[in-house]
Amino acid sequence: MSEASESSARQLATDARDRVRFEEEALDLSDQVYGVARRLVGSREEAEDLVQETYARAFRSWRSFEPGTNLRAWLFRILTNLNIDRGRKVQRTPDLQPLEESDYFLYNKLEESATDGTPDERRVVERLSQNDAVTALADLPHQFRDVVLLVDLADFTYSDAAQILDIPIGTVMSRLHRGRRMLKGSLAASATEDS
Amino acid sequence: MMSGFAFDPCDKCEQMMQPYLDRYLTDVEIKEAEEHLDGCEYCRKRYRFEVEFRTFVRNAVAEPMSPALKAKLRALRTPL
Repeated sequence: MSEASESSARQLATDARDRVRFEEEALDLSDQVYGVARRLVGSREEAEDLVQETYARAFRSWRSFEPGTNLRAWLFRILTNLNIDRGRKVQRTPDLQPLEESDYFLYNKLEESATDGTPDERRVVERLSQNDAVTALADLPHQFRDVVLLVDLADFTYSDAAQILDIPIGTVMSRLHRGRRMLKGSLAASATEDS
Repeated sequence: MMSGFAFDPCDKCEQMMQPYLDRYLTDVEIKEAEEHLDGCEYCRKRYRFEVEFRTFVRNAVAEPMSPALKAKLRALRTPL
């Protein structure tokens, strides 16, 4: 083998090794990617399609990933961009009603409506229903839901979420604040209806 | 609570709740928040509730990926 072809063979082998490692590392994150995808869209089928598209695109464009940078954030950026490309289902206009005055109102409300004296925080949470949480999250306008999913489900920092969604950190913080309040608001409403 | 005063420590504490729980405060601010929490049962309860609430939402909306999807993703790998 000539020196030139030997070095290009070596290069190919290195490439293949890097690529295998990249793909395995990306696959290790698939549970987290699916977890967020499932709440970005309305059904399991759509979520599965979205995750497959995400991985197909990630594997195709692996060279644009810079080794040593945040692979998880890179994957979630592909996921959220693809979700935007797919065209979101028609969203109702963000709720423009004034927000409740306090972040504490869900707790206060649950505490007030407790029948057995002052409950502890854990027991208050136990009165919320899992289905109500799924519905409340699905009903959030997407710009709020995206941020809540990235920070509260996927544990991204404000600055990672800002990069993934291509918005300023201040916007991440305000959408998060508002999104969480809306979530608590609708859970407070369903919890008091049920009781 | 001392509502009506220009500076209400519980109001301040509530404002700091989100960045505190998200670990987005400076060391000085963390110290300030924790000093207030140490002495204020009202805020302490509500902070604990926020922590519980986040765990609740996270668990409530979790749905595991199907093994079939996992296999499909593995099949997307580049053949060697």
